[in-house]
Amino acid sequence: MAQAFELLFRGDAETWGIIGRSLAFSFFATIFSIIPGVPLGVLIAWKPGRGKRFAASFIHAISAVPTVVVGLFVYSFISRSGPLGFLGFLYAPAGVVLGQFFLATPLVISVTCAGLEALDPRFRETLETFGASPLRKLTATLREAKSAILASVVLAFGRVIGEVGVSTMLGGNIRNATRTMTTAIALDAARGEFERALSLGLVLLVIAVVINVAVSGLGHHER
Amino acid sequence: MNGKALYSCEDLSFAYGPGQPPALSIPSLRIEEGQCVALLGPNGSGKTTLLKLFNGLLPESGRGCACGGTLLFRGESLVRGGERFLPRSLRRDTIYMHQQPYVLSGGVARNMAFACGARGLSGRAAAETAREALRLVGLEALAGRRRRGLSGGEAQRLALARVIASGAGILLLDEPTAGVDAASRDRIAETLSMLARKGATIVFSTHEPEILGGVAGRIISFERGAIVGDVGR
Repeated sequence: MAQAFELLFRGDAETWGIIGRSLAFSFFATIFSIIPGVPLGVLIAWKPGRGKRFAASFIHAISAVPTVVVGLFVYSFISRSGPLGFLGFLYAPAGVVLGQFFLATPLVISVTCAGLEALDPRFRETLETFGASPLRKLTATLREAKSAILASVVLAFGRVIGEVGVSTMLGGNIRNATRTMTTAIALDAARGEFERALSLGLVLLVIAVVINVAVSGLGHHER
Repeated sequence: MNGKALYSCEDLSFAYGPGQPPALSIPSLRIEEGQCVALLGPNGSGKTTLLKLFNGLLPESGRGCACGGTLLFRGESLVRGGERFLPRSLRRDTIYMHQQPYVLSGGVARNMAFACGARGLSGRAAAETAREALRLVGLEALAGRRRRGLSGGEAQRLALARVIASGAGILLLDEPTAGVDAASRDRIAETLSMLARKGATIVFSTHEPEILGGVAGRIISFERGAIVGDVGR
């Protein structure tokens, strides 16, 4: 354990490189997932009728799909023989970000949708009675549900930073290129080199605690 | 009754779900432009349902509401084939205020900006409209107050200020003095009287005929979804 701390505190380049890469991949995947995720969450929450229930259930289901299944799905598209093979994303950072994007997006949609549905029904009636334009409705709703939306983003980041299936399948765990905290932990543990695995595990633990505190704080703010 | 019909209902019935007992059943009702009407009755007597129907908030799409009969707004039907139909002028000219209004997060200023923005006002015109509306309800000193810092009475008066700032001429108010202190109640009654004198059409529900009955020129009494009295037509 002491050596694990030492790796972190003496600024081991490889360890910090892995941490930085993991954070960067997850950051970009989460940011990209907001672009379709939040509007789709709003759309599903606002859509009246039966289609809404089906869409919400479907998104909820796919947000729980195991990461290796998502990895396999994306792999079939970006592998050399796949329809997007020409992009060269496989075993490259872009492939990991793309896979994590597909992991994060359903979660952003699902949590945003749930947050909007939890808004007071008088809020929507207020927007309606004032004759608010669709754009004004959207901006007012995003503002009113900002805690839920932020929580969806934080949760999505938490899901992708801690996943291992997508990073392994699409990134290939290549040193100094696509190796992330989780794939490095798996590799080092398999080799019996526990110092770096433990140090990276500690970092993931801290991230998990920060994410939980953030989500809990956002929920409290919402009340 | 020789004024211009604003709302007219014939055999209007409304239930919140198939097979549920009707929340409202009105054989005939006519409300004219410029009237100030109080809807009186116990909880669950259909007052809120009628106000929401008047504002086009009901029947809600996809919720399985059952609406029958005729409901006209300035001669145009608000319900077609059991679904709501919103003439353009309905949203522009009418506004509904909840019994416990929803105050948008961000405080008094944002709520007023929202109301003015919905009317298409911005900049100095919006600021002046907001200031005047807040002055009318006695909240001009609270323009910088956050939502959490508002009492129940202040939130109610803020909602009334939003309604005024929206510029709608037909106000549909659901128990505007419910749960507020005496000072707020008097201020709201005073504001409604002033708006009625200026020619606004006001339809409001109330449990307090002794306070707001004096504001209204007409009092319609409800019981279990039916009209049981109509005084001052």
